[in-house]
Amino acid sequence: MTDPQVSQPKQLDLLQGTLDLLILKAVSLGPLHGYGVLLRIQQISGQSLIIQQGSLYPALYRLEHQGVIASEWGESDNNRKAKFYRLTVAGRLRLADETARWNRMSTLIGQFLLATPATLGEEV
Amino acid sequence: MKRLFLLLTRLASQPLSWARAITRRSRLEAEMEAELASHLNLLTADLIRLGQPPAEARRNARIALGSAVDAKEGMRRSLGLRLWDDLYADVRYGARMLRKSPGFTFIAAFSLALAIGANTTIFSLARQILYQRLAVPHPETLRLLAWAGDDHVVVHAMWGEWDNLPGSGIQCTSFSYPVYHQLQARSAAAGLNLAAFKDDTMNATVAGEARSAEAEFVSGNFYDLVGVRTQLGRSIQPSDDAIPGSGAVAVISDGLWARQYGRSPSVLGQTLRLNQAVVTIVGVNPPGFTGAKSVQQSPDIFIPLSMQPVVDPKGENSLIEDQEMWWLNSIGRIAPGIPDTQAQAALGAAFQAAVRATLPLKTGDSLPRLVLSDGSRGMHPTDNLFRKPLYVLLTMTGFVLLLACVNIANLMLARGAHRQREMSVRLALGAGRRRILRQMLTESLMLSLLGGISGMFLAYLGRNVLPSLLSNPWENNALNVPFDWLVFTFAAAVTLATGLLFGLAPAFGAARAEVGTALKDTAQTTTRRRKGLGGKSIVGFQVALSTLLVIGALLFLRTLFALNTINVGFPTDHLLLFGINPPSLRYPDGKDIQLYQRLEQAFAAIPGVQSVAASDPPLLSGNMSVTGFSIEGAKSAKQNLPPQKRLAVGNDFFHTMGVPITAGRSFGPQDTTTSAKVAIINQALAKERFPGINPLGKRFSTAGDKGPWIEIVGISADTRYASLRDPAPAQFFLPYIQMEKRDGLTYELRTQLDPSTLVPTLRRTVAAIDPDLPLVDIRTQQEQIDSMMQMERTFAALTAGFGLLALSLACVGIYGVMAYSVSNRTNEIGIRLALGAMPRQVLAMVLRESTWISLAGVAIGLGAAALLTRLVKSMLYGLEPTDPFSLAGGAALLLVVGLAASWIPAHRAAAVQPMEALRHD
Repeated sequence: MTDPQVSQPKQLDLLQGTLDLLILKAVSLGPLHGYGVLLRIQQISGQSLIIQQGSLYPALYRLEHQGVIASEWGESDNNRKAKFYRLTVAGRLRLADETARWNRMSTLIGQFLLATPATLGEEV
Repeated sequence: MKRLFLLLTRLASQPLSWARAITRRSRLEAEMEAELASHLNLLTADLIRLGQPPAEARRNARIALGSAVDAKEGMRRSLGLRLWDDLYADVRYGARMLRKSPGFTFIAAFSLALAIGANTTIFSLARQILYQRLAVPHPETLRLLAWAGDDHVVVHAMWGEWDNLPGSGIQCTSFSYPVYHQLQARSAAAGLNLAAFKDDTMNATVAGEARSAEAEFVSGNFYDLVGVRTQLGRSIQPSDDAIPGSGAVAVISDGLWARQYGRSPSVLGQTLRLNQAVVTIVGVNPPGFTGAKSVQQSPDIFIPLSMQPVVDPKGENSLIEDQEMWWLNSIGRIAPGIPDTQAQAALGAAFQAAVRATLPLKTGDSLPRLVLSDGSRGMHPTDNLFRKPLYVLLTMTGFVLLLACVNIANLMLARGAHRQREMSVRLALGAGRRRILRQMLTESLMLSLLGGISGMFLAYLGRNVLPSLLSNPWENNALNVPFDWLVFTFAAAVTLATGLLFGLAPAFGAARAEVGTALKDTAQTTTRRRKGLGGKSIVGFQVALSTLLVIGALLFLRTLFALNTINVGFPTDHLLLFGINPPSLRYPDGKDIQLYQRLEQAFAAIPGVQSVAASDPPLLSGNMSVTGFSIEGAKSAKQNLPPQKRLAVGNDFFHTMGVPITAGRSFGPQDTTTSAKVAIINQALAKERFPGINPLGKRFSTAGDKGPWIEIVGISADTRYASLRDPAPAQFFLPYIQMEKRDGLTYELRTQLDPSTLVPTLRRTVAAIDPDLPLVDIRTQQEQIDSMMQMERTFAALTAGFGLLALSLACVGIYGVMAYSVSNRTNEIGIRLALGAMPRQVLAMVLRESTWISLAGVAIGLGAAALLTRLVKSMLYGLEPTDPFSLAGGAALLLVVGLAASWIPAHRAAAVQPMEALRHD
């Protein structure tokens, strides 16, 4: 039995890290404005990932602050001024890095969850 | 590798992004606004496209995006702007709080500034005088040679500094040249290379202007040994110092080069005259180099030791050959790895052998012992003069610093207590505790900064005030005290730390407090609760420190007063003093006496000069001349002891100085070089050596019991002699005309004229007789006496300042703590009044409380004073360290100030309206 009080912050950490990864991935497919990032994440995930829209912008600013994405003002599809974000060289590296880490983690967790008393017995 | 690149990108990007955000803040805010608005518009448009009615679409879009304020706050936080924004707000709020209570701000910042300023100034001076090293490479390997001897030491003739050792015996830094020469020959083998130097005052004619100058004789290896290179030209070489009487070259100081030659390189090859000897300037010392004697001041001219017999002959022999006279100072550099004890032992044996070889050892004579001491600060001759006063000053400023810290602590605590409620409200409204701490920290820092910066200004302005207070106005000894950053940092750090500590203490209390209690607390409390550190004990401590400082100030003020009211035995006003020191090459024995007479007549002829006296030494100058006094027909040698203090004077001395002749006659025109030798003694001498006998007509000798005899023709009233503090000693006067020679004479002119108008005429008068003769040390008699009290005056001024500061701080402290106590007890006082207490009783109650604090503080202060004032006994005059007037005066002053400071809070308490007080929150 896990205590929900303790496990909750970990979930949040995971989510925050994940949001960064999602944004990087979305932007890597082509420059996007903030709303576009939201749309693309929903489109790729088939509407199954729900993102707090208000938390999107602090994340974008944080990533830009760290130098992994860069922004530029331009025109949106309906000729409105919008700020477009694109990946920098450092961002590309970071995305690759985070992707590799995510894959390693999910494999690990997957194997972990497959564990049975039988496999444990062999090991010990 | 990849990770490193990412880290570097991040490290480079963040500061840039932060700086961009700070500098283009308004644009950033607009962009954030625009970005969120664009998001909202696009989302709304999409929702309408999905079929929602426009109004509902807008509403849903806004709900989906969430609070724009929150989002923007998150964006700012992402850019690292939160801390900056908070700081900005804190600083603005802090400035408003400081402006709102200007009294508090002023007192806190002012006391901080004074404490920091005074400490920096006095510690800088002390470091400069007591610890500064010579500006040469590796001063720590320099050793100063000295010798110690008991009362029967074989060395009798000395020219230089010596100290009395505790108990008996002396320690002296002077050697005869022959002894130095023998030591020097052994020095390399002993692991301590030696060089020699001697500072001497002489008349120098530099660029056509005659004046008195400090010169330093140095041995040929001196520059090599100390390791100093000239900034222009060459230094003095061993070849310059090879043959006595040769080597007419000079290296001048950076100061003289700047003053007289405007830093012109053409100074090389120019000549200057030193006591009639002409020397050629071959080099200029680097700035900062001060020779080997003192760290503070540099002699102007450095010449080879071999020039001594030519430039400044003493007596018939050259000092280079003289075995009797010990005059030369020696400094050495110890070889690496050689312990001092080893070098001292090796040279010590050579030293005693050299003494035996050069001085006749009679029975009972003892040999001196060689002593190696630290030479990194040169001879530091001013140590004995300044060490004690400086330590006393350091202690007192230390107390002032402590007092300022206590004051800050008290003010901060009182303020913190006042703001307890504000803190509770902030907490109740959801402020974080760390946030509150940070705000208090900012406020304390701002206050400290204010005090620190003002203190730095004070210290910067004050750094040359003290040295000028401690030196004679007519002597050119500009002591430069550099601004000492280390000391400033220390003083600033101590006070700032105190400010922070006590500024934060209430904040911690507030942050810990439960929100409810403090809000309830001030509502209806009749009982007082102790809150944190007791403000009253702090104020008591403050009063104790103030008592101590005020008593110190009173002691020094009374000393100055006592010195000022001394009757020295003659009227000291309208007397102008200056010295004439004719070089003995041009004025051999007898010739100089003629010169003095000519000058005396020339001065007397100047319009406005009433009369002219001359004397050697001048009275009350710290100089003395002591010679034997053997009465004719004395039955035993014992009757001819002790030697007496003597003055060589001009014939008009008593009339000019206004010293009355009480019996017999004064000197007059009938006393000439060839007439019978005469003398005048003072009453003290008459009483001491001629008890019950009329001394008039009696004869005595200054050269033993075989004459030549001098007849006593008059008795004068008593005057003080060398020192202002010592009562008039026995002394006798001889006409200088009847003496063989005088090495300089001081003229005393009685005149109603202003010295500044008279001096040019005097210079012209002297120049008409000898253009190379300077007027030395021009001052009035009153200035001369004042200079004897310089230390006391400086002390009185400084300690009075400290005392006043202490008093005002104590006043503030008592007022603060009583005002706080009364405002906290408004309720209680209201109840007392409602139950029938008279306002008078309430007044008395408050005054009683404050008086108890003062009494406790004063008692502790008196105890401390009784212990500490003993240490300054030697600096006081005319009173004991436990001077009842000073002790009682200080105590009374503090008690009165305490009463006065609590008067306003007490009246406020007595004027409380019971109904209002009970309704009062």
